[in-house]
Amino acid sequence: MADRLKNVIFQTLQRTVSRADFDWLQDRLETDDAARQTYLTAVHISEHLDQQAVDAPGKPRPSDAPGADVMSTPLAIGRHAGGSTLVSRWVLVGVVANIIALAGITWYARTHDAPSRTERGSVSLDDAVATSPAPDASSSFAAGDTDTTTERLIAGHATLRRAIDIRWPKGNSGLHEGDVLTNGTLRFDSGVAEIDFFCGATLIVEGPAELNLESDWSAEVFLGRLRANVPPVARGFTVKAADAQIVDQGTEFALQVTPDAACVEVLRGQVEIRSTDTPARQLRTGQRHWLKGSASSASDFHDLATNDDVQRRRHNAQSDRLADWQNHIRQLRRDERLIALYTADAIDRFAESSDDSLRLMFNQVGAPDERDGVLVGPVERVSGRFGNESEGLDFSRTGARVRTRTDGQYGAFTFACWARIDGLDHVYNALFLADGYENGEPHWQIDQDGRLLFSVMVDDTPGTGLGGHPQARFHHLYKTRPFWNDSNRNQWFHLVAVYDPPNRRVTQYVNGDIVGDEVIQPKFHVQDLRIGPAEIGNWGQPLRNSPWFAVRNLNGQIDELAIYDAALDANEIQSLYQQGKPLGY
Amino acid sequence: MNSRPDAPPDDVPPDDPLDDRYADFVGLLARHDQAVRRFVRALLPTGDGVDDVMQETALECWRKYDRFCDTATEVDGEFTRWACVIARYKTLSWQRDRARDRLVFRESVIEQLAASAELRLDRGDQEREAIERCLDQLPADQRRLLLSVHSPGESVARIASETGQRARKLYSVVQSLRKLLLRCVESRLASESSHG
Repeated sequence: MADRLKNVIFQTLQRTVSRADFDWLQDRLETDDAARQTYLTAVHISEHLDQQAVDAPGKPRPSDAPGADVMSTPLAIGRHAGGSTLVSRWVLVGVVANIIALAGITWYARTHDAPSRTERGSVSLDDAVATSPAPDASSSFAAGDTDTTTERLIAGHATLRRAIDIRWPKGNSGLHEGDVLTNGTLRFDSGVAEIDFFCGATLIVEGPAELNLESDWSAEVFLGRLRANVPPVARGFTVKAADAQIVDQGTEFALQVTPDAACVEVLRGQVEIRSTDTPARQLRTGQRHWLKGSASSASDFHDLATNDDVQRRRHNAQSDRLADWQNHIRQLRRDERLIALYTADAIDRFAESSDDSLRLMFNQVGAPDERDGVLVGPVERVSGRFGNESEGLDFSRTGARVRTRTDGQYGAFTFACWARIDGLDHVYNALFLADGYENGEPHWQIDQDGRLLFSVMVDDTPGTGLGGHPQARFHHLYKTRPFWNDSNRNQWFHLVAVYDPPNRRVTQYVNGDIVGDEVIQPKFHVQDLRIGPAEIGNWGQPLRNSPWFAVRNLNGQIDELAIYDAALDANEIQSLYQQGKPLGY
Repeated sequence: MNSRPDAPPDDVPPDDPLDDRYADFVGLLARHDQAVRRFVRALLPTGDGVDDVMQETALECWRKYDRFCDTATEVDGEFTRWACVIARYKTLSWQRDRARDRLVFRESVIEQLAASAELRLDRGDQEREAIERCLDQLPADQRRLLLSVHSPGESVARIASETGQRARKLYSVVQSLRKLLLRCVESRLASESSHG
């Protein structure tokens, strides 16, 4: 939040701020004195820099003197030198290279801290970081915390479109369907992966396999069987194996690489084989060529998975997973700690396929009809995380919501849901929000930076809040590190918040991994927890007299949400994730 | 009003240029111009309108100068605060005229900011010193980069194209330096205020 504030302030001073961010800044400035102080200091700094840049072009500062960058000419700033080049090119390149190393490290840290699977498997990234010099900027100030890049970067060459029955090597938690693949090694023991390169080529790879993704246009195969489909737009896509290059001319070919042999066969069209010691040769439909080894060691390609096979196998596997999950739900709902278990699917309640039931999110706890969630507004039924045969609810349109009511008093909370996020459009994006946000009531949401936020109202008396605003109320937001960015669209996430007053801890999880763990300070301790009327995917009753941030509908889908009157432990959360994860995770 | 102390505001009624009162007023303006300008600048996020508001403020101050002198017990010491109250209303009316523009704070925000800024009026020098100290702590090359994008007519995009860097990357580098600087200044000010 603090970082966002600074970003938005400087963007404002720079006039590059978006309307939404500017409004957000105004709300902060209006309600938060600390934000005002930061803003005023930033304006002052900006003004100071403006003035210095104009007043003292190239004037050496004390620390510029001996030792510091002896060779560099002072930057000619401003238009004094007849409008010639303003910045000495090489000096700047050095600066930028230096600082980019810093940005790179932070970026690396972020992506590897967060359980987002985006940049996994990148060998080169690790190497780059290991050899990067320590950045100057981070050591300049005692505070030292180098929060840097504000942009969301997606780096990679391909996406893992489909993954079926894949077994990843031990100690590697693997990739998910939809993950972006960066350069580096991809290795798996068995199963089938369908990889879409950004140039348009597709590889269907059968394990055991090991390949190195080199660029949008090339990959090297060390082990495995694959089928490459290269549409005309991707002509020139190159697969390397056994010291040779297979350059595709817009076609389909198969390749098998074992430790002793490598064989390529053109299934349709034409490829060119290049290697250093022999002249290039053309290979046409039906022709086969051994890059290494001989006919005796190569196998038949007829059983190689096709696109249709992948599709069929995936469909079957998905049906199996859906069946497993429904069985699991039947067991889960016997758990006495469950307060509610909302599912978009009407498990075991097919009898009521009336129009009415289409407007329900089914509560699997307690007697049917009791405490079901009611779909309000433009909530749409869409495919759930197990594909077309399962159901989810889409909250992307403003006003979409599922209203629930849960009476009673509780000693702890565990919230768990499966959600797919298409964008973090709002300052706060709702998962589950109690109507009035009154004493002991929970708010569970995601902020614009992709962090999970969980909070329970401590004192809802207006004016008790931090910052002194007359409407501010006293509570604390427990935040995780960011787990979502634009590359995670189309992926389902298992999100969990555990609020544990007896042990004074708030622990949050994404896909079974801890992403946030914070002690509940005495002043924020709340013993009696309640829910009352609440909404899934939106916020029905914002604070009175405070219209800000009232639009909180989740731009995305939720297909299951469970609430426990207990603090589940890490093993239980991991098990919920493992049992409930969709195909390809 | 003009920010240069040696250039009397064009629109100020000339009266008699030799009038002592007028000379006093110009002197006061010259001494306190920076503080008032900084105050106004803080209320106008993009900096647009600062000159307009300053000019309006100066005119208004001149119109009410007699009354101010009558009530003030210590003219020089109270001038900034008094001028800032006027500047605040001038900013609000400027804002009302331009409320539909993209980057103009709404009235309630200006009110809150003005209140906070008034409390900081006396800390201008302290803050300036903190900024300078923190800038000095930056390695020379980073300071140059930071300053270069603040030069008139200069932009990140232009520097990026001149050096072959991607503008977005360069922008985020500059942004991170600014935040670093901001954090340094904030912690310096915080430690100063906590030590009295």
